[in-house]
Amino acid sequence: MVVKVKDLVKRYRDILALDHLSFSINEGEVFGLLGPNGSGKTTAINCILSLLKYDRGEIWIFGQPMRPDAYDIKRNIGIVMQNIAVYNELTAYQNIDYFCGLYVKDKNQRKKLVNEAIEFVGLGEFTKFYPRKLSGGLLRRLNIACGIAHKPKLIILDEPTVAVDPQSRNKILEGILELNKQGATIIYTSHYMDEVEQICSRILIIDKGREIATGTKDELKAMISLGEKITVESYSITEKQISAIKKLPGITSVDYKNNALIIKSGKGTNNLETVLDFIRKENIHFGRIYSEMPTLNDVFLEITGKELRD
Amino acid sequence: MFIHIFTYRLKCLLRDYEGIFWTMLFPLILATLFNMGFSNLNSAEMFNPINIAVVNNESYRQNQSFKQTLEKVFTGDDRLFNLSVVSREEADEMLKDNHIDGYIIAEQPIKLVVSRSGIKQNIIKSFIDNYMHTFSAISNILEKDPGKLQSLINDIESKVKYSKEVSVTNAEPDNVLIYFYTLIAMACFYGGFLGMGEVSDVQANIKPVAARINTAPVHKLKTFFYSSAASIIIHLTEMLILLAYLVFALKIDFGTKTSYVLLTTFIGSIAGFSFGAFISAIVKKYEGFKVAVIVSVTMLCCFLAGMMYQDMKYIVATKVPILSYLNPVNLLTDAFYALYYYDTLTRFFTNIVILTGFIIVFCSGTYLIIRRQKYASL
Repeated sequence: MVVKVKDLVKRYRDILALDHLSFSINEGEVFGLLGPNGSGKTTAINCILSLLKYDRGEIWIFGQPMRPDAYDIKRNIGIVMQNIAVYNELTAYQNIDYFCGLYVKDKNQRKKLVNEAIEFVGLGEFTKFYPRKLSGGLLRRLNIACGIAHKPKLIILDEPTVAVDPQSRNKILEGILELNKQGATIIYTSHYMDEVEQICSRILIIDKGREIATGTKDELKAMISLGEKITVESYSITEKQISAIKKLPGITSVDYKNNALIIKSGKGTNNLETVLDFIRKENIHFGRIYSEMPTLNDVFLEITGKELRD
Repeated sequence: MFIHIFTYRLKCLLRDYEGIFWTMLFPLILATLFNMGFSNLNSAEMFNPINIAVVNNESYRQNQSFKQTLEKVFTGDDRLFNLSVVSREEADEMLKDNHIDGYIIAEQPIKLVVSRSGIKQNIIKSFIDNYMHTFSAISNILEKDPGKLQSLINDIESKVKYSKEVSVTNAEPDNVLIYFYTLIAMACFYGGFLGMGEVSDVQANIKPVAARINTAPVHKLKTFFYSSAASIIIHLTEMLILLAYLVFALKIDFGTKTSYVLLTTFIGSIAGFSFGAFISAIVKKYEGFKVAVIVSVTMLCCFLAGMMYQDMKYIVATKVPILSYLNPVNLLTDAFYALYYYDTLTRFFTNIVILTGFIIVFCSGTYLIIRRQKYASL
């Protein structure tokens, strides 16, 4: 086990930021910490890193209790902060070299690691650029390179794709999977469920500092009753027709809003064909019709009663 | 590790152009402006001979005693008047063209013609009044008791001074020096920006980069000390450049105790750095607020030390003397002042010892605050 968090409680005066949070992360996992803004993801990360005081709980990393002076543990951790943490007065290369130098003393080894990190994040053409000359996406990549250059065993990425263009975002996500393939255990926090679904092998959903659910994405989706969601874009559906759809076998709910008919069905049923037959029979005009499997947002919605993206 | 952190910190500081401006260029510019503004201040207080004329008429030519008296006051380096002997018309013309401040008609009584009133005109009038008063006294004595004439002449020639001027130093009095001394003190305390930066860079609740440093396997106090060494080196260099500029380019006199001047600059630099670090540690706000606090406190201290109004230093020293000892800028200014004016080092070392006390307080306070390793919030 790489990380073990047990019964973690953190208060900011009257606000309970972490409410008896417990989880563990195994070696080789890409562990996603998913939750809306203000749910306690960054607070949990800062507690794990011993930056923040907490009121109660235990944190173990690599089998040892985590403390501010646990330098042997810190040596094997790489951190990519939510905010860009680089020096504006140093070039991209110098920034990576500086932070890598806090972990690796040997100059030759460091040079090799820095070059590998530059190649890894694709900053080869920008090594002599100062941070203020880099675009948002390149700056994020530099931020990542500074955190991972020393080849840590555990990499913590706290919302690394915030305000990043799609191209850089894909590059970052691919890079994270590559790091994982190379043997690093990853903790990835985000409020973007699609990112978490895409790269994480196991996910912890938190809200108001509390664990909502943990598991693989399939396990999480299996926790809820929703099996399929069919959307029909149409502006000519009558109340009578809606009532008739509700009576179709396997349908659990029907909602008609903004010219979109959303039909939900339970697990194990496939109603797309049935719905299509009904539409043809009733001669309902429609623009598009599509079926979706449940997302992590649906999981969050069903458990908490609110949208994850809120 | 020291070399690694120290070298990169030096690079950061040398590329921080805004920081370099405020800690080095700004004091240099201010010193240049001071020099331009104050260049006439000392010369304005020097006495220049007054240009006068005397009308060359018959009564002047015959008035030997007046002629001899005038001769005494318009010859030599410390003469009172520059005298021209001219006709009445020429004297009028010269007065009209402001070539003279007044002219004398040596009639009985002696007349003074001026075009306006002022200090120079008062001096000429006092001279004439004094002459006439003495002349009248001598005439009266000659008339009533000629035997006492010699005794009177002796009295006039041997005026007795009842006070004695004692010099405590060989240094020439210079009214503008205090401005330059406070300027150096200000520059020293602008080193507070560097101290502030060093503390902020290890406070995870202030800067993201500090949070990254706090997660690295290096004690943050080590990082702080190594980086601070670079900052102090940079600031000391800046102070030496300022000192060299003042001494060699602006010809500001610091006296003869060069090694003590350098010691004072070094201690001032450390005091300024530690002051900024302390402010940064105790003020739990964003960096802009900390800068505002450092600038405000420094400028207030400079004002009380006489930077904007020279007499303020004296006023504080006489009305609230304790404030003189609680103001580190004043202590630094006074240390330079004491080195220049006093032959003994008692006053200088008093200032240096108190200043060192301030450094100890600032450093201890900073250490106690930043040594904590976890934060309540980030």
